[in-house]
Amino acid sequence: MIDTPEKIDGENEAIVVTSDAIVPADETALEKIKARRAVLHHVFLPTLLLLVALLGGIRFSGRDGSIMFLPPALICLFFAAALIALFLRAGLIDLQGWVSERLSLIGNISNGVTLAALFFASAQIFNSILPEQGLPFWIVSFCVFWTLWNNLFAELNSLKLLRSLTAMFVLAFAVKYLLLANMTKPGNEGWLNSLINNPAQTAATWMLDLPQFDAATGYVQFFTLALFVIALYFIPRAIED
Amino acid sequence: MSEIIAVKSRHIQIFGLVVSIVFGVFILFVYATAPRSILELTTKAGETVSKAINTGQVVTGTYGVDEAKFQRGLALFRDQDYPGARALFADADPEKRDGRTQFYIAYSFYRQGWGRFSNDDGLFKRGVETGKHAQTLIGGDFVSDDADLKLKTPAALVSELEEGLRVTADDFNPLRALNERK
Repeated sequence: MIDTPEKIDGENEAIVVTSDAIVPADETALEKIKARRAVLHHVFLPTLLLLVALLGGIRFSGRDGSIMFLPPALICLFFAAALIALFLRAGLIDLQGWVSERLSLIGNISNGVTLAALFFASAQIFNSILPEQGLPFWIVSFCVFWTLWNNLFAELNSLKLLRSLTAMFVLAFAVKYLLLANMTKPGNEGWLNSLINNPAQTAATWMLDLPQFDAATGYVQFFTLALFVIALYFIPRAIED
Repeated sequence: MSEIIAVKSRHIQIFGLVVSIVFGVFILFVYATAPRSILELTTKAGETVSKAINTGQVVTGTYGVDEAKFQRGLALFRDQDYPGARALFADADPEKRDGRTQFYIAYSFYRQGWGRFSNDDGLFKRGVETGKHAQTLIGGDFVSDDADLKLKTPAALVSELEEGLRVTADDFNPLRALNERK
């Protein structure tokens, strides 16, 4: 039995719902939705991910505030690969829906570029949240490795994975930009001055080999992390051609 | 109508692809050059663009010396401002592919480094390097028509520079002070 079609608010010119299926009411309007979706998936999403890749390695020197571009350490690429594997395993991304023979060549290339952008953005996010050197680098790296390793063998769905990753990113961010940043001596102070004024910070900086960054670094990296989470929210399981 | 919009969707994919590639190249450039400020970023971008243009000109065979800069460099050379002349010669021939310009650069090292009692070995060594490069570029047939220069060929210039670098008994001859710069 076919019910009287009911229009959906907002997209009412495009689709109507019957009891059994969603069918297009107006083909032109449906195509408009497809075009908007294409803009989201092929322009907005890769640009957002590349923006994360650009910002993830930016630090501001604690001495003179100059910009530094730090490329990711090798371990960040390893973590990024593990993260992509997790996305595939948890079903956040269906590889067949992104790269497949049923898609056009341009569609496949565009999706491949988006996946590459996701990989580089992931690598830069790890570059952003991992301390640069010394003991803190190895401790936080081990914790990240442990979390990713456990997730690789856990029964996960997309939502659980995103919760787990968000928790990991937020904790690592807090350790680096709140805890360790406050244990670091100001970059524009000489060693003797800082030893007299901030002996504990000076000792921690020396013992933990902490780099001295400007406070602006934390703000930039906070927005980078936020942009990455937003990009993850917009990533579809599969992309229509 | 549907076909028109379908094409538009394909255009969006191509546009997104182009934007991603351009942005990706920009990121690679920024991380490769690591500018310390926005001002430095524009400077390095300018340098990279002009280098790319020069390389393109070399590849297509349209590369040439900036004659105006060369003439200004030559004027400074005659006024004995050798570092200034070298800077302009280097600007005139950024790819170091013009033998005549390289010859003048080598000559400027000779004239600046020459001394009545002792030569500046550092400048002479750089002169030998550049002179040999000029020799490779223009070969043995080149003879300068500049009346101001006494050493007319890159080979003669390199030989004079190498002679100046060698320590010989003649260096201790007091009559050496009467020698003239060529």
